[in-house]
Amino acid sequence: MATTTATLRLSSSDLQPGNTLSINATSTLMKAGLTTGLTQVESGVISLALETESRLGPLGTEISGGVHDIASWLYLCNKATDDTYYIDWGIHETNIGKLYAGDWMFIPWSASDDVAAIELEAQVAAQTIEYAFFNSNFILAADAGA
Amino acid sequence: MALEPTLILKDSTTFSDEISFSVTDSLTVAAPARGLSLETVTSTGGNHIIVPAGTAIAYLYVRHTGTTDGSTATAQLVDLEISDDNSAFARLGAGEFLFMPFNHAGASVGVQLQVAHASNVLCEYAYWTKG
Repeated sequence: MATTTATLRLSSSDLQPGNTLSINATSTLMKAGLTTGLTQVESGVISLALETESRLGPLGTEISGGVHDIASWLYLCNKATDDTYYIDWGIHETNIGKLYAGDWMFIPWSASDDVAAIELEAQVAAQTIEYAFFNSNFILAADAGA
Repeated sequence: MALEPTLILKDSTTFSDEISFSVTDSLTVAAPARGLSLETVTSTGGNHIIVPAGTAIAYLYVRHTGTTDGSTATAQLVDLEISDDNSAFARLGAGEFLFMPFNHAGASVGVQLQVAHASNVLCEYAYWTKG
């Protein structure tokens, strides 16, 4: 059985007076509502043009089945090194956060409707990101010429 | 003040090659912040605002404990919502967690938790403001 585990550690020596902050959380990534693991991964490194809205990962229509509200996990890292650079990220037209140079995030994501895609837009300058999607039921788009 | 997050992803059974990588970061953080906390979340999101409205970037950690009260198991899902319009942007199942930078295009909004159905779910959370 597919077994993908994610572990998050948060630590700090100066955030809490008198003791060290040490948070550890581990989760096995499962299909939505099931106890079976995810079966697909897509990862890579891509460039984002300045102030150009780009889609990352599938649209709801590219996920098979009548219900495309599946479990999907996204790891996203901004590989820029200039501290002033950041990427606006959101879901469809809803802005959710800013990912600054060198920062990363790990979130669950599901396409609750056909247009609910992860959207990214580089600010200040063009930037490069590293990403990985863990999911299932994703089908490649049909060849437009087929 | 510094916060060091580390993510480790591993999978040795799904693909012909093993996935095993870790990434870490060193974040400068400032007030306001909330250390590791517990919240019994219900189906009324407005009662469970875990990040108060603000325009700064908040590094947010949330974990679904998989229980209603620390001992009774539950599989009910928990939504993370933008506090001003109750729009959900993430959903956590039992035992799942997330770590992300939250900022709604500079708008003064917060984050609230809401159980998708009428039930209690105990969630663990913390946040720190980008310094």
